[in-house]
Amino acid sequence: MAKKPKIAFFDFAGCEGDQLQIANLEETLLDVLGHVEIGEFREVRTGGKGPYDIAFVEGSITMPKDEERLKAIRAESKTLVALGACATIGGINCMKNFLGPGVYRPEVYGDRARWYETYDARPLRAVVPVDAEIHGCPIDRDEFLRVTKELLLGKKPWLPDYPVCVECKMAGNVCRYEFGELCLGIITRAGCKATCVTEGARCWGCRGLAPHANMDAARYVMEDRAGRSRLEVQDLMRMYLGYTSTTL
Amino acid sequence: MTAYTVYMEQLGPLLAEWSRRMGVFVPVQIQEALYDFVPWSEHEEIAWDYDVAYNSIKRHFFPPRENLIRFDAAACTATPVFEAPDQLLFGVHPYDLKAVNQLDQIMEGGAPDQNYMRRREKTVIFALQPQRVAATAFWGSMGSGHVDIGFDLFWTKISPNAFYVEVGSPRGEELLLACGDLPEATLAEREAARRERTRILAEARGQGLKYPWEETPRLLARNWDSKLWRHKARRCLSCGSCVLVCPTCYCFEVREEMDVDMKGGTRFREWDGCMLPSFALVAGDHNFRGQALERYRHRYFRKGKYIYDKIGELGCVGCGRCVRACTAGIANPMAVYNELWEAEQHES
Repeated sequence: MAKKPKIAFFDFAGCEGDQLQIANLEETLLDVLGHVEIGEFREVRTGGKGPYDIAFVEGSITMPKDEERLKAIRAESKTLVALGACATIGGINCMKNFLGPGVYRPEVYGDRARWYETYDARPLRAVVPVDAEIHGCPIDRDEFLRVTKELLLGKKPWLPDYPVCVECKMAGNVCRYEFGELCLGIITRAGCKATCVTEGARCWGCRGLAPHANMDAARYVMEDRAGRSRLEVQDLMRMYLGYTSTTL
Repeated sequence: MTAYTVYMEQLGPLLAEWSRRMGVFVPVQIQEALYDFVPWSEHEEIAWDYDVAYNSIKRHFFPPRENLIRFDAAACTATPVFEAPDQLLFGVHPYDLKAVNQLDQIMEGGAPDQNYMRRREKTVIFALQPQRVAATAFWGSMGSGHVDIGFDLFWTKISPNAFYVEVGSPRGEELLLACGDLPEATLAEREAARRERTRILAEARGQGLKYPWEETPRLLARNWDSKLWRHKARRCLSCGSCVLVCPTCYCFEVREEMDVDMKGGTRFREWDGCMLPSFALVAGDHNFRGQALERYRHRYFRKGKYIYDKIGELGCVGCGRCVRACTAGIANPMAVYNELWEAEQHES
């Protein structure tokens, strides 16, 4: 039998909530792990070293020295998978980018700010090439399983390129805009089964912009039709979508 | 045609009996001024005067996600998967029934869709005469106010306490008489039902196309290059809401997923739609409807011309669900067709 592929998990700035989601797969996780050899996986076990067939990397890059470590992981991994919103789109770490280092460094580190080198938060793909992305805050466990299986089969993982509205329609949800509420489902990449709306909340955009997101139309819907203020819309969009070339 | 009179108090035992035999779905109010079909229980209050169900009933024969095949990758074998529970949809409005009839015709044509057909065969439909017209509806002008086929029973509320029930199939009649014989409807009751239908049709015709619906295919053929498409599509979010809520849209995507043991797996289908950006994406990264304008125009041609060219009726029944579902407010077949029509009147 062929040698089992070796996988590993690494993390940068983030809450490790995505690795926790994976650990929470429990028995199903053991079935998957039967097909692989585990290197580094801090949430489950310690130790292990490269090279790796698949490296799952969680968290954003927030310090210049993160770059070296990420590049080293990249160098010894055949496939690098960004895991969770912080790694795929920068996520909530990027909220600080709108303040600028002159504000956020003293805010966090006080008069010792110059001891710590930090810079604007960014997703992995801003530093190294990324082969696959598992979006979400936190990730969807079923999607993690599916993507992992597809990678083990040598397939390019499938990723929805349509907005969350599709999954709301499949779930039969009543649209948030029926009540003039804000919801970023109209521009956010699907794949979460519209879970937040299904549970009665709204979409915050944690899976990043859908590739064809029409931002002008979205502003028209949120500001002109739902009647929400420019600032309220901006706050919502800056929560997860901060790392983008689009003006938010 | 046989018709019976059913009184409100006879309904409880009948519903209980039907739900012993199959899954029964009825329209109820789900939020203020919003209605949808839900599984019946004695605690549910049926909204006899609902205007439109929030979700189309197509999900009962064409679920958002459905398994098609189970396969064993090692043995190279595959088994078809058919799930078709017995179900009764009680309270279907004529425009929705017309949509089901159209789906039946399309799914049966060519290579019949086995999964759809099996679910459909196991489904009993009790149609219901609407008592109100939704603000976004325009079925009165689309030839969808009246439908002669596709129902097992057709219910018309003729007084606060009584229904005139027309029999459409032996299966429907058997279910209606499941708790004992019922009186056949009198001529007066038949007349009351006719008056009720006429009243609501007149109300429905008040909002709709400004020209006979049969003209739509020709109207569209003249308007491929209209500026309207670009004007409207600028606001298109490409979210697919309009086609996913449409009772006559039936496009799907087929995908596969392995089991965790990596030995077998499942092939399934999921709803897809021509308004989604990668719907027309093919090998080599070519997309023959890559722009929102092309997708937007395609939908109106599909509803107003292509389906007509195929089966002689419009692909839009005028339920108005897309009007409501479109957050940008650009999905509205009635408004689009009327706008094209009016522009031509000014030209001539």
